[in-house]
Amino acid sequence: MQQPRVGSDFTSWLLAYPDTYEIGLPNQGLQILYELVNERPDASAERAYAPWIDLEAEMRTHGLPLFSVDTHRAAGEFDIIAFNLSAELVYTNVLNCIDLAGVAVRSAQRSDADPLIGAGGHCAFNPEPLADFVDFFVIGDGEEVVGEITDVVGAWKHSGKRSGTREGLLRDLAGIEGVYVPSMYAVSYDGAALVEVTPRYPDVPPLVAKRTVADLADWPYPRRQLVPVTEVVHDRLSVEVFRGCTRGCRFCQAGMITRPVRERPAAQVREMVSAGLERSGYDEVSLMSLSTADYSGIAELVRDTVTGDASPHDTAGGASGYGTADAGADPSRISVSLPSLRVDAFTVDVAAQVSRARRTGLTFAPEAGSWRLRQIINKLITEEDLYGAVRSAYSQGWHRMKLYFLTGLPSEMDPDTEAIAHLAANCARIGQEYTKRASVTVSLGGFVPKPHTPFQWFGQNPPDELSRKVRLVRSALGRNRRVQLKWHDPAASTAEGIASRGDRRVGAAIEYVWRKGGTFQEWSERFDLALWQEAMSACGLDLDWYVHRHRGEHEMLPWDHIGAGLHRDFLWQDWQDALAGHGLPDCRWTPCYDCGACTEYGIEHIVASPVAPNGGSQGTGQDLATGHVVPVELRPRQLAGAGAPAGGGA
Amino acid sequence: MRLRVRFSKTGKIRFIGHRDVARVTERAVRKVGLPVAYSEGFSPRMRMSFGLALPTGYESDGEFVELPLVDSALVDGAQGGAGASDDVAAGGPAIVCRGGAHAPCEHEPELDAPSYCTIAEALSEALPVGMEVSAAVLTDGRGPSLQAAVRTCGWRFEIVGLDEAAAAKAVAALLAAGTVVTERVHKGETVSSDIRPSVEVLQVVGRSDLGAVLSAELSATPRVVRPSELVPALASAHDMGKARRTHQWTCGAAGRAEPAVPSRCAQRQKETLSG
Repeated sequence: MQQPRVGSDFTSWLLAYPDTYEIGLPNQGLQILYELVNERPDASAERAYAPWIDLEAEMRTHGLPLFSVDTHRAAGEFDIIAFNLSAELVYTNVLNCIDLAGVAVRSAQRSDADPLIGAGGHCAFNPEPLADFVDFFVIGDGEEVVGEITDVVGAWKHSGKRSGTREGLLRDLAGIEGVYVPSMYAVSYDGAALVEVTPRYPDVPPLVAKRTVADLADWPYPRRQLVPVTEVVHDRLSVEVFRGCTRGCRFCQAGMITRPVRERPAAQVREMVSAGLERSGYDEVSLMSLSTADYSGIAELVRDTVTGDASPHDTAGGASGYGTADAGADPSRISVSLPSLRVDAFTVDVAAQVSRARRTGLTFAPEAGSWRLRQIINKLITEEDLYGAVRSAYSQGWHRMKLYFLTGLPSEMDPDTEAIAHLAANCARIGQEYTKRASVTVSLGGFVPKPHTPFQWFGQNPPDELSRKVRLVRSALGRNRRVQLKWHDPAASTAEGIASRGDRRVGAAIEYVWRKGGTFQEWSERFDLALWQEAMSACGLDLDWYVHRHRGEHEMLPWDHIGAGLHRDFLWQDWQDALAGHGLPDCRWTPCYDCGACTEYGIEHIVASPVAPNGGSQGTGQDLATGHVVPVELRPRQLAGAGAPAGGGA
Repeated sequence: MRLRVRFSKTGKIRFIGHRDVARVTERAVRKVGLPVAYSEGFSPRMRMSFGLALPTGYESDGEFVELPLVDSALVDGAQGGAGASDDVAAGGPAIVCRGGAHAPCEHEPELDAPSYCTIAEALSEALPVGMEVSAAVLTDGRGPSLQAAVRTCGWRFEIVGLDEAAAAKAVAALLAAGTVVTERVHKGETVSSDIRPSVEVLQVVGRSDLGAVLSAELSATPRVVRPSELVPALASAHDMGKARRTHQWTCGAAGRAEPAVPSRCAQRQKETLSG
């Protein structure tokens, strides 16, 4: 059991997840930072989660502040309270947690001795909606920068946090690469339009570039994954097998902002799996990434994990235990779950390996119903790829699977939407060849355009249009009893859209919703669109303008001063290519097209295999076996100069 | 053969529910590499059976779980089977875990079943703080399940703000009454029942910082009566403080007995460690 040290000498972080313990505990980012800070001799990290409304009411009645789960220390006693931002709808919970900590919700009203409020995670790539509430944001990978922030805050702490020094501290923090301090920037508008975001001091960078860990092999974390004593979501061992994804799906923010692909060496993955299983007692491991079937040698890795060959430990007469190498009927073998499966990489081989233990749930994400629309979103999988994957799964004993689609995509027309029903029905029909119980669950999500993607200029579908598309799929499915339809509340997509591409002015609406009790907006039973609409008009903000409006090429976007590595003209060109129906191949196996993610930082893909995994078309539109195979460096090399193509190709 | 494990649940861990106890136990078994059998079928699960479920929030010194072991994991002298308790006590089989074989403890020859204090220790180490294994003994696995075998439970509980004299008076009145009708909420409905027949023993045993401390033995059939149902009948204006299950009693041929008594050997080792 890990026990953080408590002492006034330590620079202390309270790592807060702004949702319940059950949702937040498995978060890997938070756990990585927790370990890294606690490994330092001069710092300590504890954790906090948002109390559910019943506990919050008790806490407020009895005057109890937000406290850490580790030592029950009051949040206000920490030097830094840092929030993980995994989704926009948690923003009101962030405000609630700051308030529960006994700290002023607005940064400008905090005193020198107050904890610093920090935030990181994917949503930090558009920090503006929370700019008035958060003292500093971390953009990108946190492994390195967490230490640099600890150094700066630690020095300030040991100088006594003297009155009037907070501004200087924030300015120092703004000097750390990848740290954005909103109060160091002045924002000007011309009517509704954003005109300028300018640093208030010469030493504050005009563009805050994200941090990227060059090689995941240097960061085998978490080493000691937290094992909760109560049930949580994702209650299993998790091992990150790679970070970043260059499939280039145009709707996907994660795939844009986490480039390049950095695979963890297979030997390290095996060591983390076996050591993690042994110390946790879990019997299931999730091999995590944005698209795990793309991991080089995935079939072998899954096979060895299931049979225990990944374990370096002796099999010492083990009639039980995962040390048993025998592939027979040992039921105590380890289950493997693969999140984010691409259908063109899910082969019979992988399916067979996964199914040797308990069959974990299977979700495929074709994202769009028609090939036309999949070209536009650059999810270049063919119908045959999908059917192949589905056939692999059914043939290996699965009898139900989930298909995930987005609706409200750019240029989507009714035939594209209806094609979802067609795909699902065909998948169910394939299942019928293998089992009478075959069924398919279709899950529809309303598309919310995200910053730093080619679709950042696109006007989101209004909720009634999203609802109409849900009905369209439902009626196209007819009475097919083998296909279940589920959908995400279109109203929630609208509120998500406000925060997704909002600017600094949207903060007032978020505060309004929070003050009206609008916490836990991620929870359908707590979500209330009317409250968000009321908040927007009370703050004089036009919801349509923020959410449903198409943006032009030259419009300044609220996150233009945040650098995800991607050139703005690359994104615009990709947006134009999308509308023209042109796909873009995966640059991990084909020549570099200079999106900026590698060239700007002098880093490269780290991929063990120079070619795409077998199976399917791989959607690249080219013959991977004979041409355009880029020899990929296994270690990053220093580039001669900025702007040079990173892939070495072309 | 089954390994019958006795464990405690004290401190903060008392707030996890019965299902979570099962999941925590399953992980501990895997960490130790104990050769526990799995169910058959599509989705094999580790087989384990607990004694009576403990209400969430109660502490306990006497929780039990039985773990059926795979036959191949028992080596040497295991063939005697159930009846040959004398032979088994003298030696008993070794249990082969992932990390190595565990021989029965030599220090407890008076027990009628082989006891494995090294396994008890390893399980304690693998369980969360507050869950300590006090005994691990081998049984033949015949006879009724623990849940069916337990007849009464021993309890110790506080009544907040009640002094010992008042508590003693209330206890005497309750024991003198022919019927004690109480209400409880069951599946959303208020049910009233007479709990007097379930109260076999009730006495004041001392006081704590919070109030009087009582001990009770309450029958587990036809349903488990909890101390929290007694408190309103004893002192309706007072709340129950901490409550702890001290025993689960079965009724065998030899009279009242516990499924397993705390291993003195394991305790001696613990004292050595902590001392």
